[in-house]
Amino acid sequence: MAATRNPDPRILRAIGVFMIRLLAVIERDLKKFKRNPLVIAMSVVMPIVYLIILGNSFQGKLVSLPVALVNQDSGPYAKRVAENLRAVEAGPGTFSLLAMKDQSQALEGIKKGIYKAAVIIPPDFSKKVVLKSGPEIGLFLDNTDGISSENIRNIVNAALRSMKTEYVPIREKYEDVQLREIDLYAKVDYYQSLVPGVVIMAIFLGTLTSGAFNLVMDRFLGIDESYLLTPLSKSHIVGGLVISGLSITTIIAVFIFTVSMFITGIPFSKGIEQCASIFIIIVLTTLCLLSLMFVILGRVDHPRIVGILSGFLNVILFFPSGAVYPIASFPGWLRNFAKINPEAYAVDALKAILFKNANLTYIAGDIVFLLVFTGVMMTLAILTFKRTI
Amino acid sequence: MQNNKAITVTGITKKYGSVAAVDNVSFSVDDGEFFGFLGPNGAGKTTLIRMLTTLLKPTSGTAIVACCDVTKEPASVRREIGVVPQAMTSDLDLTGYENMDIYGRFYGLGSRERTQQTAYLLETVGLTSRAHDLVATYSGGMRRRLEIARVLVHKPKILFLDEPTIGLDPQSRHVVWNFLEQLMADNAMTIFLSTHYMEEAEALCDKVAIIDAGKIVVLGSPADLKAQIPGNDIISLLIDGLSDHITAMLNGLPFVHQVKTEDNSIRVYVDSGAKNLPPLLDALKESGGKVLSATIHEQSLEDVFIHHTGKSIREEEAKKVSFLVGAGIPRKWGR
Repeated sequence: MAATRNPDPRILRAIGVFMIRLLAVIERDLKKFKRNPLVIAMSVVMPIVYLIILGNSFQGKLVSLPVALVNQDSGPYAKRVAENLRAVEAGPGTFSLLAMKDQSQALEGIKKGIYKAAVIIPPDFSKKVVLKSGPEIGLFLDNTDGISSENIRNIVNAALRSMKTEYVPIREKYEDVQLREIDLYAKVDYYQSLVPGVVIMAIFLGTLTSGAFNLVMDRFLGIDESYLLTPLSKSHIVGGLVISGLSITTIIAVFIFTVSMFITGIPFSKGIEQCASIFIIIVLTTLCLLSLMFVILGRVDHPRIVGILSGFLNVILFFPSGAVYPIASFPGWLRNFAKINPEAYAVDALKAILFKNANLTYIAGDIVFLLVFTGVMMTLAILTFKRTI
Repeated sequence: MQNNKAITVTGITKKYGSVAAVDNVSFSVDDGEFFGFLGPNGAGKTTLIRMLTTLLKPTSGTAIVACCDVTKEPASVRREIGVVPQAMTSDLDLTGYENMDIYGRFYGLGSRERTQQTAYLLETVGLTSRAHDLVATYSGGMRRRLEIARVLVHKPKILFLDEPTIGLDPQSRHVVWNFLEQLMADNAMTIFLSTHYMEEAEALCDKVAIIDAGKIVVLGSPADLKAQIPGNDIISLLIDGLSDHITAMLNGLPFVHQVKTEDNSIRVYVDSGAKNLPPLLDALKESGGKVLSATIHEQSLEDVFIHHTGKSIREEEAKKVSFLVGAGIPRKWGR
């Protein structure tokens, strides 16, 4: 019968209604997406930013690692060692050599984080090569940066090996030139080396969800009018929110720091002084990022924007900070960016305190940068903050 | 203060692109006056209040509020005024008491003064028993009363209320009205209220400015404004086959002051509407007009609005309903 072959009109109608509803939901969503140009732009830009930043932050060839060269020997063999090292500098460019006279100055430089290593050629090196009485070259390594120190060790070794084959007569039984390696610090494994990064990440997330974010939420909920109508000044509003964000984020960061110290088994080797130094860096970094967030989020009025920016900011601040992979492996433009990236200074300071037992004078440069950055950003935040609707 | 004016506005204008939300508006409000701004949504009331309360910079013109120029000394103005914006702005995550207390601190009030004022005001708005509950648990009316109490904590000289009863049920609306009347009786305060409810302006205000499309249409006391309309009652008729002949006939009747027509409907301004309705209907019948409906009402501010703009506030609202939230103030970024 024809009637049984035709589909039931009620079913057809139900399908029709279902489709109308489904299409309405889809269209509503697509229209909203289309009318948020920033969201569209960020969805397109973000993956590319990830590619560029992440692609350049990991596994890059290390270049221009600063290495101090202290040549105390004026003999020909010392000269050749230096020449071979200069050849590496000129060729692959793994390190850039800084010649100096004073050994203690070189070691101090490593402690302050200026150099990644120091090659010391002792005064009697050439003589010992000639006399075949066990010539030695000293290599002092900042082993808290495992990836960089491993690279330097390999390349210095290779440079010395090439010298042996070149200059030592074939029949003569030669004495090896020994490279005496000295790790300046207790061994830091990769797991432990991530702790500064984890703390910085906690600070980043804390500063993103307190401070300026509350302002964005007030705007979104339309309750910002209530305090814009009072005699509160821009500095009251910005300063007040920054300080409340500071207290929340500091508590979070200290907690995360303590827990990750226990998890990774890093000892508190210097007690109170070390803890105080770390606390100071946490507070400064928090202030720095809170004021940065205020500049960026100062006029945003929708939490969706914060969500998108959080991913973006995390990628451009965290990965190029040296928390995961050494800055020396970055291409030039990214290394230059690291010079103005507060997270890079924070990571450097925390690594120095944790792994080199550095006190505050050694990381004075980092502290000054964080202070100046905070000052500039706070001023900008107050200047750009709109006191009107 | 140099004179007894609480607010003096001269040629104030706010433009968004080429559109003037407020267009060259001038008026003044006396000290201690209850001043109403009446107009449909989108007429420019909120924009005007935001300019007077320092939240928006005028494109041109000046406004002296309480003591100072709003653009030159906004901080001084803010100290002297209390503002209840149209949107609910109390913090949901805080209790009613905390909302009041923190607001008092924004004005730099000391602890004793805050405690006294908070207790007094919460009692006045009938929220003492709920003072320590989160605002999130309050009804719309309670929240509105809290917000009015909150902006009084620093004893402002001028209170601004932007559509204070919008979205409230009639009962809550009357509670707010009573409270505002009480407030005027108890304090030497100037109140500036914007509303699109005619009855609100009529019940509360000493003086009313009727605003439409960014301009003041007419300004005066409700009684004076109504006196400007001819007659004292209005008979509204719906007539099938309305013609010029009928209009002319109506205009000729001795008790008719004025006739206004729109499509099939007609508004006849008369004296003693109840008494004169039967002869009016008789006259219409004679001239061949078929009356579909007839209503008589006393003149109100709504009629003043219609008289001056040729349209009703309700019609305007229906057209402008999309501007309801935020009164048409554009906000940038991802909405």
